[in-house]
Amino acid sequence: MSELIIQTKNLVKKFGKFTAVNGLSLEVPAGSIYGFVGPNGAGKTTTMRMLTTLTRPTTGEAWVNGHSVLEEPRAVRKSIGYMPDEFGVYDDMRVWEYLDFFAACYDIPEAERKRLIDDLLQLVDLTHRRDDMVDKLSRGMKQRLSLARTLAHDPSVLILDEPASGLDPRARVEIRELLVELAKMGKTIFFSTHILADVSEICTHIGIVEAGQMIAQGSMDDMRAQLQPHREITVTLLTQEAVEAVKTLMSGFEGVANVAELEPKGGRFRVRIDYTGGDEGVAAISQKLHSANVAILGFTEETKDLEAMFMRVTKGIVS
Amino acid sequence: MTAIAEALSPRDTHLADAARWLRRGALLNGVIALITLLLGILAAARIIPFETLRAGLLFNYAGSADTALAIMILLALINVSFMLVLTVGVLAREIWTFPVLWLLAVANIGLLFALGWLVAGLNAVLCAWLGVRLVRELSSLRVNPVMIKELRGRMRGVRAFAVITVYLGLMSGFAALIYLVYAAGNRASGSAAAGEIGRVLFLGIVGIELLLIIFIAPAFTAGAITGERERQTYDLLRTTLLSTPSFVIGKLESALGYILLLLLAAIPLQSIAFLFGGVTEAELVLSFIILTVTAVALGTVGIYFSSTLARTLNASVRAYSAILAVMFVAPVVLGVVLRLFSNLFSNQGSLLFSPVMETVFKYADLLLTSINPIATGLTSQQLLINQNVLGFYQFTLASNGSTIPLVAPWISFAVLYLALSAALIVFTIRSTRETEL
Repeated sequence: MSELIIQTKNLVKKFGKFTAVNGLSLEVPAGSIYGFVGPNGAGKTTTMRMLTTLTRPTTGEAWVNGHSVLEEPRAVRKSIGYMPDEFGVYDDMRVWEYLDFFAACYDIPEAERKRLIDDLLQLVDLTHRRDDMVDKLSRGMKQRLSLARTLAHDPSVLILDEPASGLDPRARVEIRELLVELAKMGKTIFFSTHILADVSEICTHIGIVEAGQMIAQGSMDDMRAQLQPHREITVTLLTQEAVEAVKTLMSGFEGVANVAELEPKGGRFRVRIDYTGGDEGVAAISQKLHSANVAILGFTEETKDLEAMFMRVTKGIVS
Repeated sequence: MTAIAEALSPRDTHLADAARWLRRGALLNGVIALITLLLGILAAARIIPFETLRAGLLFNYAGSADTALAIMILLALINVSFMLVLTVGVLAREIWTFPVLWLLAVANIGLLFALGWLVAGLNAVLCAWLGVRLVRELSSLRVNPVMIKELRGRMRGVRAFAVITVYLGLMSGFAALIYLVYAAGNRASGSAAAGEIGRVLFLGIVGIELLLIIFIAPAFTAGAITGERERQTYDLLRTTLLSTPSFVIGKLESALGYILLLLLAAIPLQSIAFLFGGVTEAELVLSFIILTVTAVALGTVGIYFSSTLARTLNASVRAYSAILAVMFVAPVVLGVVLRLFSNLFSNQGSLLFSPVMETVFKYADLLLTSINPIATGLTSQQLLINQNVLGFYQFTLASNGSTIPLVAPWISFAVLYLALSAALIVFTIRSTRETEL
């Protein structure tokens, strides 16, 4: 596994008698897009606030980019760009001034700021709104501006709290694309969400948290394999004869656990093949069916959706 | 918050070092002021002769020995104020600290030669040494980003312009009213001294200005920190590299900068009094100093409550009530009490009628006057007009005819209020840090 850029060990945060985070251990590899998923009140925001040095953990330790959150908060702040779930609006501020102010707060010399602001605005596609007032922007634009702000000091990790919440579908897709682009630029992106579609779309890693505890985490592929004993291939066929043909062809195939006929849908016949092998095997199955001249309309692998996975591991406890 | 012993960058270490030396310098001057006071008391008790003191500590001063002591205490306290302000400024990496540091060095050299105050030499050496050291860190000093942000917002559009216009309009109207009322009154009695009109106009305008500042200054700063919390922008700032001193100083600078603009804008209006005569330039300067010091002090009171409370409304209410209680209610109540007692004790033949009691009452009176800017202004003006005293003077005691050194209240007022401001800034920074976790 590649080196970890965010790591926590038994992180605990108590507010009086209430335990928000209860022994959370997090491992975010460098360069990943890490989806931090959990129901509301699971402790996602509190964890992020501890990682961004805004809150001190009651016990436990956390490191970001090799710096301890407890002992080197300034070094941690230098390595992270943080976007809280609420967008803090300064009224009476233009878009470029907003970025200029935060760049100055990150000690970026005035001579470099103009270029930096232009680059950032271009990256988030807000160049045409450069001189507009911040509070006149749409929510999606504000979110993109906020993202540009987190990038002002070229941090290696972005910690984003619910970056897509409250956005319309188009803005959500735009933010998602932006995150993928940033990951390509070598940034590690650690974001919390309760929208599973976002996670399955772009994440390389996922951590599921509930009642302040990590209940499952790892790369998306590992998690899928772990939670799903076999792959499901659905073959759509033209005739009933083809169904029988597939059944006989597949019954002896290595790695095929089960072949089941499904209810016809829209006049089309369907067969589900449960398969435990790798990608080569899937290709071999397709090859075999083609060479047997079976009348195939479609051949798809159903990725069992994340919601089922999520429902399976979480218990619906909200601390 | 537990102290975080994070390794600083070399640059930060140099600045922190400079701040530490400035703090030591301030402490040293504070101790010197205290020692001078003790020496003065010893001299007054005839344990050591006054003249030796003056010759040793303020050898170029020709005035009386006890005034020399008062001057020394005052100079030490002024140095304390400047060094404390510079300490915070250096920590906040303010660009103005560099010229101010050199200014303090030069001023102290001037004091050394003009008055022969030996401590000034020490201060000058310290400031010059730190000034030289800061040259290397000049690139890391900067104009405060929070101040730029705030001023950009504040000065944008018609609002700032409208506020100044309304402010000047109100004051002009008020001045015109004073003039008309006064002129009408005099027409009835038949005599009108131009100088008197000028003085009344001047007092009226300065009074209105003072009133406006008392309302505006805390209002500008009471929302400085709570406002960031309420808008939820405070967390954003805290994850940046912006330090707490930078944040607090930037907020204060922007608020006070705007108030300073209002004060400067009103100077032409005050100067109308010159057309009538009866007002001196010294009075104009004095009024400006008193107004500015009041604005600084009230501004820091506002920001202090803003740092300790969660909501702007609460912070404003607390700031106004604290100001009302300390600046107006307390001096009036204490003043009445003081008057009663002094009348009681200073009756001829009373057992307690003694030079010591009279001296104590006189100084207590000065202190009470210095708490309230209105009393300070009026008393200073009276001294200026009646006795032509701007700074120090000798007061002859009624009880035995001996003299005690006294200072015009505007000086003690400025020292008192600036010391209070410096302390409040330090407390604000501390409490802003504490509420961070």
